[in-house]
Amino acid sequence: MTELVDTFRQGLARGELLVQSCVTCGKAIMYPRHRCPFCQSSDLEWRTSAGEGVLHSYTVVRAVPPKGFEDDVPYALGVVKLDEGAQLLVRLRPSGNASWDGYACDARVRFEPACPDEIQRRPAPWFALAAEPEDTR
Amino acid sequence: MADVTPSGSLQVEAGASNDPVFIGIGELPSGKYPHRTFIGDLTEVATLAMRDARIQPSEVDTILLIPCLHSFDDQADLIFSRVVEELGLSGQAKSNMMIHSGGSTSDNAVRVASGLIASGHARTVLVLQAERWGSADLSEMVTMLTLNGIPKEWERPLGQTFNAIGALITQRYMAASGSSPEDMASVCVALRRWAQLNPNAMFKDKSLTVEQVLASRMVADPLHALECPPLADGAVGFVMTSAENAKGLTDSSVRIAGSGGCVSHYSIGQEADLGVLGWRTASERAYAQSGWGPQDADFAEVYDSYAAVTAIACEGLGLCPGGEAARWFATGATSPGGDFPMNTNGGLLSAGHTGVGGGTALLVEGVRQLMWKAGPERQVDGCRRAIIGGTGGSYMDAQVLLLERVANGAIR
Repeated sequence: MTELVDTFRQGLARGELLVQSCVTCGKAIMYPRHRCPFCQSSDLEWRTSAGEGVLHSYTVVRAVPPKGFEDDVPYALGVVKLDEGAQLLVRLRPSGNASWDGYACDARVRFEPACPDEIQRRPAPWFALAAEPEDTR
Repeated sequence: MADVTPSGSLQVEAGASNDPVFIGIGELPSGKYPHRTFIGDLTEVATLAMRDARIQPSEVDTILLIPCLHSFDDQADLIFSRVVEELGLSGQAKSNMMIHSGGSTSDNAVRVASGLIASGHARTVLVLQAERWGSADLSEMVTMLTLNGIPKEWERPLGQTFNAIGALITQRYMAASGSSPEDMASVCVALRRWAQLNPNAMFKDKSLTVEQVLASRMVADPLHALECPPLADGAVGFVMTSAENAKGLTDSSVRIAGSGGCVSHYSIGQEADLGVLGWRTASERAYAQSGWGPQDADFAEVYDSYAAVTAIACEGLGLCPGGEAARWFATGATSPGGDFPMNTNGGLLSAGHTGVGGGTALLVEGVRQLMWKAGPERQVDGCRRAIIGGTGGSYMDAQVLLLERVANGAIR
């Protein structure tokens, strides 16, 4: 694929969430672009995200997946707004009770890297709840 | 927000000779019709629309095609003028083209047809749509759809699907509005009541209850199977011409009082607020052009591939208070006999999701109602103004057409 895609996926394989950043205006950009969508600068760089943010929405796909995803079912997708300001579609890990019942819109979530083999199979950024619901510390 | 409303001097006035109007419509029943064919349906619906407009094929100079999604092969036939040849218009047709913006295509096709007519580049435009989703393999169509509006680098590898996109919107809408699963299901039930009055609807003979919806299997949380649109075969068409040309053909036509749109994203992962989308901006732009607002409309036909899609649109269009749309449907206000009829053909959820044609069928139903041709059971009595709302794909755009009835040359 393109250099933008390769760089992002190589980051995932190393356990890093890379987010594009505009050197000129300083804004975070996701997904990565060829020019800054805010100021049209071509001076763009990669930064490692702190990997924390808010879950804007989510769903658990349980039936009629696209071809090739039959063995993934059930799987959860979410839209995460990173604290850095950009947002992206992610895969969500089941929470402690092996379901996604603990998730809710606006919950705090954090990046949890998948192993390189999984990134090779599905180049997805994985996120989990920042605090398990039963965690009362 | 940048002001993109055309100035008054650029807008075609009601009563102007070059004002673009709808003069005829045609539709075939939606559902599973394995023995019908793509070109056969296009030919049939073209004939119905031209007869309704009381014109001969020889009077059509421009054909706009709304794409099918069941086959790239058939879509290519639309682009490369097969319909011209099938209708016997070779050598006479001035222009044949396909317009495509997903589910909102019909709104953009109306804009294109209107522009061509008002500027004198076309005299009479025939717009046609046919889809064979109902007879296609479901799994193949689900996979094919991921090629239409889901980024191949960033979302397709994660297993993104259109039901998941609808679910992401629904989940956010329910959280933001406090709508219950029962509220959401009641939208589907309201649509089914209209479908039962529509002889062309896929589910005209099947009643539906909230309990049935909530008892159906979970497809993509929080969407149950009966909250997902049924893929259908279907075909619709319509004819547009100038007000001057319409005079000798019909006593009642339909004009466009205003239109507005907003493209709020491409990929669903980039939408700033999944519970709002582009509807407020699109509506402001449309109402500014028409000079009338939601309180002046008699009914609305708004894209409804999922209950939340139409609920969010209703709120942005100002048809009900913010956050209340699903509960508004639950009161029966939008159902047959209610104060403000919505999606009077049964919508995509109950008349059938005919791909890009789902929005076209809603548009044609709006025109049918304004022409007072919807039949005794479904007709919105004395209606004069309608709001048409279109969207589709990843709900990347919100499109609004404001239509009004013209009778004997006057808006009445």
